[in-house]
Amino acid sequence: MSNMATTIDTDKSRRKTVLMSSALGYVVIIGISLATIVILSLLLSETPGKTLHYFFLGSFQNLYYFGNMLNSAIPLMFGGLGIVIAMRSNNLNLGGEGQIYLGAFVTTITALALAPLHIIGLIVALVLGATCSGAVSALSGVLKYKWDTSELISSFLLSNALVLIVNYFVTGPFMDPNTNLLATRKVPEVFRLHKILPPSNLSSALFFAIIAVVVVYIYLFKSKGGYELRMFGINPKFALYGGIHKAKNIVLPMFLSGALYGIGGGIAIIGTYYACVKEFSAGMGWNGLAVALIAKNRPFAVIPAAIFFAYIESGAKNAMLHSDVTAELAMIVQAVVFLLVTSEVLYTLYTNKKGKLS
Amino acid sequence: MNYTFPVVHSSVTIMTPLLLAAMGGLFTELAGMLNIALEGLLLMSAFASIVFTAATGSMFVGVILGIIVTMILAGIMATVTLKMKSNVFITGLAINLLAAGLTVVLAHHLFQNKGVVVFESVSNLWKLNIPLLASIPIFGDIFIGHSLFVYLSWVLLFVCWFVLNKTPFGFRLSATGKHGEKLRSIGLNPVKYQFIAFLISGFACGLGGAFLTLNMGAFVSNISSGKGWIALVVIFLGNKKPLGLLLAAFIFGLADSFSNYAQGAFNVPTDFILAIPYVFTLIAMITYSVYAKKRYEFQK
Repeated sequence: MSNMATTIDTDKSRRKTVLMSSALGYVVIIGISLATIVILSLLLSETPGKTLHYFFLGSFQNLYYFGNMLNSAIPLMFGGLGIVIAMRSNNLNLGGEGQIYLGAFVTTITALALAPLHIIGLIVALVLGATCSGAVSALSGVLKYKWDTSELISSFLLSNALVLIVNYFVTGPFMDPNTNLLATRKVPEVFRLHKILPPSNLSSALFFAIIAVVVVYIYLFKSKGGYELRMFGINPKFALYGGIHKAKNIVLPMFLSGALYGIGGGIAIIGTYYACVKEFSAGMGWNGLAVALIAKNRPFAVIPAAIFFAYIESGAKNAMLHSDVTAELAMIVQAVVFLLVTSEVLYTLYTNKKGKLS
Repeated sequence: MNYTFPVVHSSVTIMTPLLLAAMGGLFTELAGMLNIALEGLLLMSAFASIVFTAATGSMFVGVILGIIVTMILAGIMATVTLKMKSNVFITGLAINLLAAGLTVVLAHHLFQNKGVVVFESVSNLWKLNIPLLASIPIFGDIFIGHSLFVYLSWVLLFVCWFVLNKTPFGFRLSATGKHGEKLRSIGLNPVKYQFIAFLISGFACGLGGAFLTLNMGAFVSNISSGKGWIALVVIFLGNKKPLGLLLAAFIFGLADSFSNYAQGAFNVPTDFILAIPYVFTLIAMITYSVYAKKRYEFQK
């Protein structure tokens, strides 16, 4: 059936059908998740009108809120890219929470130690942060390669332990004694990125994120290494038969995945937070995963997907500030997105109706 | 009451939610579904059971309603995964996120409190109290002085063993995971068995979650704190056999109970102590996979 359909269809119209059907899938998902917000606000809020107003429009009140919303999308872009690389190679890194936090912490303390070195110190700090996070993630890859230990579970467990251990260092040996905050000292002025949309927190980190997207795209789709990685992801057995190395395509993607999370953490420090605050990155790791899922593992789609998630998150925060709901509302919306985003049925709604490709 | 080994005694209490969640997860695992939602299901029941107990004034009704809510959540996951053909792993994450969000949002809405909600109207759990037997070393520590949930979990473990090893349903369920498509050729629908497996995991986690909060008389946000994930590892370490689950859950209970004890006894930072269960679980997981790989190579 499907063979006949594809031979009759021209390539062009086939591509159009696929595009339409995935577009319809997205419309359904976004529609249901936004409907969830409306229903929850009506049920839970005393002033649902006010809650919804701030949820949907809060991010557009003025440049301050808009810039902050874009700014909170930046770590999600890095996390999303990290997951894209892992999933393209048929691995999954569930340790984002710990890796982003570790990357941020290592970058902060290195930057503090290397303050006199200026730009070189900054580069060393970011690279070291990325390497530490990458190494932790690569460990899960090594375990998978050597003994088939599920990388999902090992990366998740490692990450949970890491968060607690970093918590100890942030609130213990490295805590800034001069403030009441549970945080390290702030990195020196020379290391901080420029604000590009004052008075908001949006910094030039946005450009770094966009550069990262381009680099990941070129690596995955225009380089030999990326080609091997994707082939291994599609069919490991076939790839091995074709002479593609197994260890390299498990450990390296896991390393890169963790390293991207680590850079995301480091950039969040030099762009926004300046000090490593206890658990400042909580939730960013999971959101990075969600972003990659919505983007369907396409590097460029990570940008709008991250902004969509940042919009939901900021909306919930605005609604909490100005109305009577709590910001955890965003988690429920995210859960709805997670539930639906991989549904094959949703993406074939259009094609089924047309009787094509099914 | 005096116990010879308080660490052993409290480890039996600690292992019970793990054992229950692992039993539920065993059914989904055998049906070929990696159910990472055990965590979220435990959390949902922990919240729902104590809220319903406080609202109805009856612990029995509260627990039953808590189990029903959890089974509905498991049913949603099963529907989305099996009928709408979603990735089971991602829907599992969704359920975990949903439970974490929903419990906090509802706690905020109902009690204006997101952290710790104490239910003073909820009475303490009944406990088997035989002082004479309790003082017998090991026997007393393990068998005496627990609540009904603990003994019920042992009965259910037997039921679980019986269903999986002695009934046609159990055989078909195990066959679903191993040869789902062959099952179709004899006229059975593997999806039906997977759906039932999800509901069973909802039931077991419902009971386990209820024990978490009713044992304390309070709900704390994220009270499941990784127990569902540890339960998942318990299934692997227990070699997917009911008796194995009991042994594995007991070892984890012991590790957890020891880390509670160490918190008071040694001068180690709390964060490190809290990290012990995760590190221990990871080491156990690695040990198991090394063993499994060796065995696989040997058989080949």
